[in-house]
Amino acid sequence: MPRWGMVIDVKRCIACWGCTIACKEEHFLPPGVFFNRVLIGETGKFPSSSKLIYPILCNHCSDAACVEACPTGATYVREDGIVAIDDTKCVGCRACLISCPYQQRTYYDQKVKDKEYFPGQGKTAMELIGEKLYPFKVGTVIKCNFCSERIEDGLKKGLKPGKDEDATPACVNICPVNARTFGDLDDPNSEINRLIMENKGKQLRKEFGTEPAVYYID
Amino acid sequence: MNNKIHHLVQTMFPSDGSGLKPYEWMINPTRQLQWIDKQGIFLWLAFFFSEIGAGLYFVSLFYEFKAGLVLGWLITLVLGGLIHVLYLGNPLRAWRMIMKPNTSELSRGIWIIGVFAALGFFQIITGNSFNIIFNTIMGILCLLIISHGFATMNVIRALPAWSSTMVLPLSVISGVWIGHQLLQFMFAVSKPAEMAAGMEVWAEVFFFAYVLCIVLYIWGTYHSNEIGKESIIMQGTGELQRISLIGVAGLGVALPLILTLIMWGGDTNAFWIFLRLASVIAGDLAVRYVIMKSAVYKPLLTRQ
Repeated sequence: MPRWGMVIDVKRCIACWGCTIACKEEHFLPPGVFFNRVLIGETGKFPSSSKLIYPILCNHCSDAACVEACPTGATYVREDGIVAIDDTKCVGCRACLISCPYQQRTYYDQKVKDKEYFPGQGKTAMELIGEKLYPFKVGTVIKCNFCSERIEDGLKKGLKPGKDEDATPACVNICPVNARTFGDLDDPNSEINRLIMENKGKQLRKEFGTEPAVYYID
Repeated sequence: MNNKIHHLVQTMFPSDGSGLKPYEWMINPTRQLQWIDKQGIFLWLAFFFSEIGAGLYFVSLFYEFKAGLVLGWLITLVLGGLIHVLYLGNPLRAWRMIMKPNTSELSRGIWIIGVFAALGFFQIITGNSFNIIFNTIMGILCLLIISHGFATMNVIRALPAWSSTMVLPLSVISGVWIGHQLLQFMFAVSKPAEMAAGMEVWAEVFFFAYVLCIVLYIWGTYHSNEIGKESIIMQGTGELQRISLIGVAGLGVALPLILTLIMWGGDTNAFWIFLRLASVIAGDLAVRYVIMKSAVYKPLLTRQ
């Protein structure tokens, strides 16, 4: 069984927010909800300051704080390493949301559901279709799922996630500078393992001991 | 700006900072919003009522006072329990919270409250139920319930203001202190005067222990790391400054100190006891509010 992971080359990222938008499109996310963000920070002082650009998403940690905190088992780590939420079990206690050191979860309440992209003008046809195709349950927590539906459909068709677009997360496909690489962390010959080894890939906020599956190279 | 555009701007960039700013996420110390803001306010009240109810039950065990047991049991289960349910997004599924006691503090808490409810009911309805073994079991359960709210917060490593070592002792002492005050007031209005006066020595002990825990919490969290320091600074400045000064310092510490000194040595009366009870309840609510409100996450990126 593979363990899916991602490598993000922050030297390549140009902060175009393509991943942010592609993700919103893929999951029909309502206004104000992001599964992918591009953070802009800076370090040092002028004239020797440098800009930091970090695309951020759920880290799909193998020792996830959210999974430990969940009292119902709604949040769990799948066999393929993806941290998933079973919305039929979620009670909306938000313990997972609080315990995530990366703050990559969102509580989906009625207020979020009712938000319109064009306030006061009603929901567009696209938003209404999205609610049918990608229904989120009110009163539950939502987050990035590594586009697991694309991976599963792709695998059924014999495609290889990370290589074939139809089996690869939307944020990876859209990246115009190939800053993102997706693949199997358990395969020693995979592209992402090569990148991690050669570039000494780092996990974000390793001190929390959550063992993220998203690595950054710089 | 016409109304339509103004409405659009307000919707996209609300004043609470939750607008479309994905690039500014977690680059500064970021406050947790879920467990105190909006619907989260229920959790603050639920933790408080569970704590004081269990505190009252705990202290009543030592005085073998059944009315205290009944009131403590009711406060914990009816007020604490119902308010917990009000907070949940899907309350009909709340029973599922018993599923993971091995890892989830919330789940453990539900089990403990369940056992407390059953054994407490048994203790209340049976005639001669104050035996040492039963009291010990119920006492342990009470202490676990008192600390449950803060224990749930304490396990969150990402929030230093909550994972501070002093959070649990503060929670236990505050539960016992307020439970003791409730019982002392019940004695003051229903029993001979010497009963309430006799409790005063313990009131002095619990009060000073409570103040010591607050001081140690502030000192420990401030010196734990940069983010802990940020939380403590937040508690003393901005919108929390007034609550910290009036609620925590004034009602939680200064006024009870004055009243404790007035009643020093057992010179008690029902009015002073009531005044101190009201003051410590408001003070403890303020302590909890400030701790919950000031918890911040370490940023993912630095912005100097």
